[in-house]
Parts: sequence; structure tokens; C-alpha cells
Amino acid sequence: MTLHFVLEGTLVGLAVGSIYALIALGFALLYKSTKILNLAHGEMVLFGGYLAIALTRSLDLPVWMAFALAVAGTLAAAAALGFVVERGIMRPLYGQSLLSVIIVTLALGYIIRGLMVGLWGGDTRQFPPVVPTGVVRLGDLIVPQVGIYSAAVALVLLVGFSLFFRYSLVGIAMRAAANEQLTASALGVSLKRVFAYAWAFAAIAASFGGILLGLWLGVNFALDYVGLKALAAVILGGLDSIPGAILGGFIIGVLENILGAYIDAHVVLFGVTLHGFKEITPFVVILLVLLIRPYGLFGTEHIERL
Amino acid sequence: MSVRPAGDFKTTYVRDMALLDTVFYRVGFALLLAALLAAPLVLGRYLFLLNTIGIFALGAVGLSLLTGFAGQISLGHSAFMAIGAYASWYVTTRLGAPFPAALAFAGAATFAVGAIVGLPSLRIKGLYLAIATMAFQFITEYVVIHTAGGMGGTVVPSASLFGVQIRTETQFYYLLLPIWVAGGVFAANLVRGRVGLALMAVRDRDYAAQVLGVNLLRYKTLAFALGASYAGVAGSLFAHYNRVIGAEHFTILQSIDFIAMIVIGGLTSIWGPHLGAALVILLNQGLRYVTPSLVTLLPTFARAATPLREIVFGALLIGLLIWEPGGLAMLFRKLKRYMDLWPFPH
Repeated sequence: MTLHFVLEGTLVGLAVGSIYALIALGFALLYKSTKILNLAHGEMVLFGGYLAIALTRSLDLPVWMAFALAVAGTLAAAAALGFVVERGIMRPLYGQSLLSVIIVTLALGYIIRGLMVGLWGGDTRQFPPVVPTGVVRLGDLIVPQVGIYSAAVALVLLVGFSLFFRYSLVGIAMRAAANEQLTASALGVSLKRVFAYAWAFAAIAASFGGILLGLWLGVNFALDYVGLKALAAVILGGLDSIPGAILGGFIIGVLENILGAYIDAHVVLFGVTLHGFKEITPFVVILLVLLIRPYGLFGTEHIERL
Repeated sequence: MSVRPAGDFKTTYVRDMALLDTVFYRVGFALLLAALLAAPLVLGRYLFLLNTIGIFALGAVGLSLLTGFAGQISLGHSAFMAIGAYASWYVTTRLGAPFPAALAFAGAATFAVGAIVGLPSLRIKGLYLAIATMAFQFITEYVVIHTAGGMGGTVVPSASLFGVQIRTETQFYYLLLPIWVAGGVFAANLVRGRVGLALMAVRDRDYAAQVLGVNLLRYKTLAFALGASYAGVAGSLFAHYNRVIGAEHFTILQSIDFIAMIVIGGLTSIWGPHLGAALVILLNQGLRYVTPSLVTLLPTFARAATPLREIVFGALLIGLLIWEPGGLAMLFRKLKRYMDLWPFPH
């Protein structure tokens, strides 16, 4: 493990990690305000990527204009998806058992992925050349240019989201509801509206992540796997902590690009090469975190001794 | 649902706790068994459906013990099935053991693995447990791909019993049926006995259960071990039935299918997993059968046809959970009650 390998892995990892952080933000936000673990989050990432690519391609305009319109359209569609899901599926299920809610989100994921793959096929689809494809050299470190752009966009969005939650009325209402539902409700915060906004924001964050990942790697039917990486990030940071989710995203990105890639290429265990280990790094992280510190780095410590 | 036929007075506890407590159920069960025994004569080349249903129903019974009765959510049930299948393959091909030994070994091995995987359930619960079992699922998939030949490529010999090679669907059916019925009856007995009551107490509130003297360590690990053991037996049967196993048979999607089976069938019913498995398998095969003819009718439909199954499954699950969380078993119970009183509403 040379220094060069570590530095390059860190850079690429931070770039990917910023996208994971954005996706994980949606995840944590939804859990924090509604206590629902959305296992369809990965499919919402898929939704964003597929829809943005299809829109960009179908609009007969200069590429950058088509892309800008497509992004706007996708985000609007994502918000609508969030509202529809909350109103149509989740509201009848409030107060139901954990198992029902988990299964409903799984089923929702089935439907979204089925529709996307049904409409546009399961092969890898690429954006038309919107952003330059070259690489950036920092000394002798090589980072893809797309990575830098998407990291920058993700960072801007992360800052934007945190400003929104800090200063806007809706954001304050959402934080209040997340903090203490009953009190917030007594003080006039409409919980229904907060839940609807939470779903919409989660869908927007996920879709934006899908667009950024699509710019980088293209989109195919397996993109929902990223949702599980975001899950690992959220678990690591603490399920109900938004800063934790963001930090977790960066950590998962770096871990998978340094440790995962290293084990992938160099470690041989019992005569078996661990090829593809990069892909399960997030789950190893999940298991370790759950064993050692189930509430994550910044999550609320909820001690129950049995 | 406490409606009893007139004149059916329970005078002893034994009669009150009987599994088949009325004449209707006793006759019905006897008829069901007879129908199952005679099924190969009627079904002909469709017997594979019943074989598949039987195998997955066994697995689903395990998950319903674990999730429905003990309340521990598992998103890694097909990983246990994989362990059972590969254990059975290893014992029959590498050690040359006969099939019954392999079946027993698969059950025992998954019992042990299940107990180990279940240990964290003492420390983490609910959501976190679901996520941990999901991680277990993915890691098992990874291990299978990297140690046991991976995708689609492990050939398992056909089962043999008392010197008879079990090759045809009918032979396999008569091998499967006793195991299926015994597994179902065993689970039903377990649920009405001490173990089942303890599991349900753990499900409803583990604190309270412990105060009442239920040993949580013992019953939570027991639930996992039993659930895993059912899946392991199902996996072993699947391996010797399909005769080719690979990582693609035991993915997270299969785990979700198991959950779909117990939810569709009814979470807290001993009939639920069987009904759910039957519906899921029939729906699967039905869609596979219907899709080509739909495509010839509507050629533009061709691309949407592949994920049709996912969409139908998702919609079915969501609809059931919103309108009838009790699943098929509850629908049957409601139907029976309605028929009991028909034509009067009360």
C-alpha cells in the first residue's frame, strides 16, 4: 500500500463519498422526521438517474440546455414522487408495525425499479457529453474530471440543505418535528405536512445523487445498490444524525476506495483471492458498527439492557 | 373469531387445544391430505409447481416462526437456504454421504449457524436487526460466489433413498410430501406449546417476557436456529431437486420473496406460509406463462414485460398491507365466518 495509492484512493473516495453523503442525507432526514427506514431509497436514486438521462436525450435542444431542463424536470418529478408515496402508501400505514413499513418500502422499491427498467431497459445508459470527460492531474495523482464537478455540486447541495434546515420555516418545522413530534404538533406544526416534505426532500436528494452518479458512471438497473451504501453511511454516522450521515458518506467512499480496493487486489485468504471485496465493504462496515456501536458515531444513544 | 358450531362443547383442555378442533377442520384436513397424495395423478406435467411450492413453503414456515411468531425481522432468509444447499452438496459429493444424512446435516448445520447469527439479536433489535441480517445475506452471497464455484455452476447429485434414485418429479414429490407435512405439523405444534407462547411473548414485548421468566437468550437464539433450520432443509431439498445450484438462486431478492410469502399468507397463522408460498410461486409461474401471449397481443409491451413480475409483486404487497394486514389466512377466516352465518349478517 504505497502512499500514492492511499492519496489517490482518498481523493477519488472523497469525490464518490460526497455523492454518497448527499444520498445518505436524504436517508437520514427521512428517518429522523418519520422514523421510517426507506429501503426504496436506492430505487429513488435509480429513478433520478434514469429520468434525467431520458429527458436529456428526448429534448431537442443544445446539450447543456437540455441537461439543465432535464435536471429541473427530474427534481420536480422526484418531489412529486415523494408526495405521492407519502399520501398514497405511507399515510394509511402510520402506526403500523415496523415489519409492515419495512416491507412496504421494499415493495415500493420493486415498483419503481420495475417501472424504470420497463420503460427504458436494464442496460447501462449514459448522458450525452454534458461535462468534459478528461482527468485532472494533481502532481502525479489522477482524478477523473467528472468526479471533481460532482463533488463540487454535492458539496454546494449539502451546504444548501443545511442552510435550508437552519433558516427556512419549513426546515425549522421539520427539525422541530424530528426533535419531539408531540410537542411540535401541539405548537401547531402540521405533522402530515412535515412527513410529506420529508419524503419529497429524501426523493430529491436521492435523485440528485442518481444524476451525479449517472454523469460519472452511467446508469443501469443495478444502481439501486448505491442505496445500500448510503444505508451503510447512515448506520455509521448514526441513523438519526444528519451531520453523521454526511460524514459517514465520505468515510464509506474513502474506505471502499482504499481498503476495499487494496483487499480486492492484494489480499489472498486461504488461497482464495478476495476479488470484488470492494462491493461488500459497506456491509462489513455495517456489521462492525452494529456489533460495536449500534447507534453510530453521532446517533442518539438509546440504551436498553436485557 | 370465536364462533363455534352449535353443540360443540369443549369439556377438556386437550380438546380445547387440539390443532383440528372441529369436525369441519378434521374432515377438511383429511381431504387435503388425500388430495395432496393423489395430486401427481391429476397434475401431470404441472407437478413441478407443487414440488416448488412445497420446498419454498418449508422455508417460509421457518421465516414465519422467526418473524411472525418471534417478531425478529430477517432479510437474510435465503442465505440460510444457501448454507443448507451447499452443506448438502458438500456432504454428498465430497464425503459421499447418502441423501438422508445430507438432509439431516443441512438442517443441523443451519441450526447452528442460525443460533450464531441470532446472537446479536440480544443487543440490537428492530430496524438494526433487519439491517444486520441484510448484511449477513450479502456477505453470504459473496462467500458463496468466491468459494463454492459461484454463479450457476455447482452440480448436485440426485437424491437416493433406499437404493432408489429419485429422478422424476413424481418420485421427488413423494419424498418431499412427508417432510413438508411433518414440518408444517411440527411448527403448528410448536406454536401452540410452551415454546410458541414464549416466542409470542418475546415478540409482543421482550422486557415483559423476561419479567415473566422467559429466557430471552434461549428463545431468541432458538427462534433464529429453528427458522434457519427450516430454510436449511428447504435448501437441501432444493439442491437435490434442481441439481444445479448457484449464487443466483439465493439472492436478497429470494429473501424478499420469502418475506412476501409470509406477509401475503398471513404473518401469525400456521397456514400462512403455505398459502403465501403457493400464491407467490403460482403468480411467478403464471406471469411467466401469461407474458409471452401478452407480448404477441401488444408488441410494444415487450420491454415492459421483463419487470412485470416486480411491479405486480410490489403492488400486491402494498395493497395487502394497507387493506388486509392479516393476509390470505385472515381472508379465509373472514370468509368462513361469513359462510357460517350466511345469509344473516350477525
